[in-house]
Amino acid sequence: MKIIIAIILCSSVLGNTLPSEQRKTNKSMQATLSPVQKYLQESSAVFYDSKRRVPFVYGTIVSSDGLILTKASELDEVEEFYIRIGAERYKEPNILKKNEIWDLALVKVEAEGLIPVKLDGSSEVALGTWTVSNGASDRKTRRPRPGIISANKREIKGGSPAVLGVGFRMEDDRITITKITEDSGADKAGLEKGDLIIGLDGKEVGDDKEFIELLKAKAAGEIVKLKIQRDEEVLELDVELMARHKLFGGPQSRNDSMSGDFSERRSSFPMVLQHETMLSARSVGGPLFTLDGRFLGMNIAAANRVEAFAIPVEHLSNVFSEMKTASGL
Amino acid sequence: MKLCKAIYVFLGMLSIQASADRLYFNDLPTPKSLDDLRAIQEAMQSNLSRARRATVCLQIGEGSGSGVIVSPEGLVLTAAHVTGGVGEEVTVVMEDGTEYQGVSLGLNAKTDAAMLKITESGPFPFVEYDKNDATKLGDWVFSLGHSGGYDKARGINVRIGRLVREAETTIQSDCMLIGGDSGGPLFDMTGKVIGIHSRVGASKEESMHVPLREFQAHWEKLEKSDFVGEGPFAKKPVPGGGFLGMMVEASLEKKGLRVTELWEKGPAEKAGIKVGDLILEVEGGSATKELLKSTLGQLGSGQKILIKWTGGEETQEKEVKLEDRP
Repeated sequence: MKIIIAIILCSSVLGNTLPSEQRKTNKSMQATLSPVQKYLQESSAVFYDSKRRVPFVYGTIVSSDGLILTKASELDEVEEFYIRIGAERYKEPNILKKNEIWDLALVKVEAEGLIPVKLDGSSEVALGTWTVSNGASDRKTRRPRPGIISANKREIKGGSPAVLGVGFRMEDDRITITKITEDSGADKAGLEKGDLIIGLDGKEVGDDKEFIELLKAKAAGEIVKLKIQRDEEVLELDVELMARHKLFGGPQSRNDSMSGDFSERRSSFPMVLQHETMLSARSVGGPLFTLDGRFLGMNIAAANRVEAFAIPVEHLSNVFSEMKTASGL
Repeated sequence: MKLCKAIYVFLGMLSIQASADRLYFNDLPTPKSLDDLRAIQEAMQSNLSRARRATVCLQIGEGSGSGVIVSPEGLVLTAAHVTGGVGEEVTVVMEDGTEYQGVSLGLNAKTDAAMLKITESGPFPFVEYDKNDATKLGDWVFSLGHSGGYDKARGINVRIGRLVREAETTIQSDCMLIGGDSGGPLFDMTGKVIGIHSRVGASKEESMHVPLREFQAHWEKLEKSDFVGEGPFAKKPVPGGGFLGMMVEASLEKKGLRVTELWEKGPAEKAGIKVGDLILEVEGGSATKELLKSTLGQLGSGQKILIKWTGGEETQEKEVKLEDRP
């Protein structure tokens, strides 16, 4: 279905203009939001790319002794990172656990006396309620960015199909790899033309249809265990799935091309709160508050120009417990 | 002098109207406290459910846009680039998924204003619109629409912002818009429609709307299905520019026109006409080459021609929509 909107670049249309500092997201609004800023300051973590020394994602502090939740798929984008909480720098963060379903990573830093978000609250909130997220950040200070709850709480299905980067077909009743796409997960894992696919994540696969069905349930960024037969040898290789559009490029939809820097993983979440906040891929991961400083959830995706998603606090709390247990904490 | 006086009185009425409706936060350069923000939120929320009930998704051919119902009889305001023309069939989808049939009325190709009417019987939920051009630069506004098309689980998308620029035929807000929002309503904080979403600029917070005064300036013409103005938002049908994709010759043995050739996937073929069929009537008159030619000479692409034909046993009558010449 075609979505109708004209896109034009306005040039010199005469008219009266509101001074830019009075606009919704500009400086004077930040002063108004300063009472809420302290909650962001206390309970946000800023993840810095160690190499480039720039922030690339936020985190939400969930324990006073240094447990932080962040967006897992963004961590894969950097080799090494350090974290700032308040003005303090934490050099050796440790990734304890990842959860693919919610795209969450549990990270630990050596700290004490941190102020975690309140995980026993409720995400019940009326449409149109003001929210506050992390906008920008400098070394010491988190800056509030306003938004509003903008649509129904719901599940987000589907997404860009996840691909291994192989072509395959049935030959003599075996799934035979016929092509490897350069720089794909398959390429990096060392798959070769002629390899026979016999299993995925511990399950035996009989034919190509069954294999495709199993792949459909996976998300981009996931690492799957692919069991193959090469000559007489059986191998199990870790292969990273990539979003089809990332690997093959191709035209973006019009709505995507006008949405700027949105999150790579922005679909397939069991439940989200939707808000209208001008976020980018780099500004998710932090907490979402009401004007009263009530913690509603954790920002998990900048989906497009108008929609940002947050994991509701009730769900976040459950996943956090699971991840903690799984990490032996 | 008479003219000046009229304007003076008109402006006088405006200011009275404006001050009566004005909410205090609209006159603050910036909200000074969280309580100011809460006042803005409460004003918006008190109007949200009514505003949502009147906001619709419009499905036209393969496209999807938005619109807003402004009368209990089902008059809908939308954008010209959404309806694309006069007399188009439209499916009007309410937020809960209820569908009604509608037809596009007039449009203004210069300003992007357009109307359509639900052709089923009401009453329909509707909202008031701004009749007094009462908004000012800096006023707080909210925006509704079916961003990216109808999504039942999500519902209508709500956005908030301020009026950041006023020009003659356009108002601009910092509410964020995306494809599918086109034709949707921009409200003031009293719940009146003040604009219709038209287009976006380069930055995310640059959204252009058709002000209601542009609708009011041509209200009757739009209601009467006139094609007003020239501009980028709709293409006016050029008389004689419509393409039917059908060759005929006068039938020797029977009254009518015999179809000798059809353009593949052309309008005639899509309507179900086959080579060898006999065209009986054109716009209700006995089919002759002269009548067909003169009727087509008045119609442009997107307009419809009423044709009655027979394939032997079965006789059909259909409005065939003309297309651009290939």
